[in-house]
Amino acid sequence: MYRNFLLILLIPFLAGCQNSIKNLTTTTKSVGDITYNNTIDKKDFTLCDSNNIKQYHNNQKGLEYKGEKIAIIEEFSQNYVPVKCSNCDGLIRIRFIVNCKGETDRFRLISMNEKYEEITFNSKITKQLLTICKSLNGWIPKKIEGKEKDYYQYLIFKIKDGQIIEIMP
Amino acid sequence: MKKFLFFILIPICSWGQPNCNFYLYNKDTLQYKACKTVEYVPFYQYTKQYQEQFDRALKICPYFAYGYKAKSTAYLKSGDFLTWKYLIDKAVEYDTLAYIGYRGWCKYQFFRDYKGAIADIEYLEKKYNSISIGYSAGGEYHLIVAKSVCYSALNDKNKAIEVLEKLFTNKEYNVGPYDYYQLAVTYFQVQDYVNASKYLNKQSEINEIAENAYYKAKIAKINGNDVIYLAEKNRAIQLYNDGKMLFDDYTEHFNKVYLATIIKE
Repeated sequence: MYRNFLLILLIPFLAGCQNSIKNLTTTTKSVGDITYNNTIDKKDFTLCDSNNIKQYHNNQKGLEYKGEKIAIIEEFSQNYVPVKCSNCDGLIRIRFIVNCKGETDRFRLISMNEKYEEITFNSKITKQLLTICKSLNGWIPKKIEGKEKDYYQYLIFKIKDGQIIEIMP
Repeated sequence: MKKFLFFILIPICSWGQPNCNFYLYNKDTLQYKACKTVEYVPFYQYTKQYQEQFDRALKICPYFAYGYKAKSTAYLKSGDFLTWKYLIDKAVEYDTLAYIGYRGWCKYQFFRDYKGAIADIEYLEKKYNSISIGYSAGGEYHLIVAKSVCYSALNDKNKAIEVLEKLFTNKEYNVGPYDYYQLAVTYFQVQDYVNASKYLNKQSEINEIAENAYYKAKIAKINGNDVIYLAEKNRAIQLYNDGKMLFDDYTEHFNKVYLATIIKE
């Protein structure tokens, strides 16, 4: 009787413990994989080896772009028009694939406010960022073990009052 | 004695693979069991297999802090700030002293969250009341140097200088590979060229980099010394081409200078 009573008392506590662990089951082969979506991705974007897409840091050379990252910063500073809006502070990450020829596609976007809470930014900001991101054509294919590889790259934009104040990584 | 051992063991089991016996020593059999399941993980951090191995460990022990930290790494490196933050917060919640410094560093390094990084680092400083609070994930920066960099990024240059000058007077502190450079640039930014030169020279003595020569060129230009300006500028270009510059596999160092910027100077 005493045992059953204890069990009943413990049920909410145990259930609470279980609920506190967010379900983060990885559905893709690797964290951050971007699968083809025929409604938004280019049909003619090809990969050298779709089973072995590397990460931008896998060859220990960091971000590789013709003219270095400053060339990317200049592209955004020349083409991005600041958007006047309130509550437009936070980070926007655009992740995509650079294929073995240096071409890009499969752009995906996530965003957060300064408290790391997921938010949706004003589309005037995100559309511009995506358009400029897609126009960048200086990506250098990663060379690993003597061969050009496909890889995942991302750019994170730190936005303050609708303006880009930093670009990462 | 037990307390002493505990403090000795904290850094050892903080950011890298933990020593499972540490949990056993503390009679925490649940964390010990979870730890044993991830003593050998033959998969890359990004893979489903790696993530699932840690999921199983966390099922055994839902407060196994290292498990959350280990899972978070791939999300951090892929720029997924939302999932990373969820996981690393769990690690900090269950073992604050072991992971809050690491979280602070990552907030700065990957997401340029300067205020968040300062808060985490200052929390540790208050807890320990000493400079023994640890280093960046790659080991190049002491966390107090990282804090100074964050103040500098927030444009509180005087605070950034004060933090580093105080740290450098501590006899227990061993200067890091880019510490003098970071302080020199901050002095340069407040137009204190005497102190900027002093620390650029100190940096040259321990670890010469292109950026250091670049700032020496800038100061020579300000002082109207064309000969030194040109010599330092050319030296900066040479150092850069030789690969002797600020570099990181994942992100960029604070106060990094690009080759195009040096050439334009």
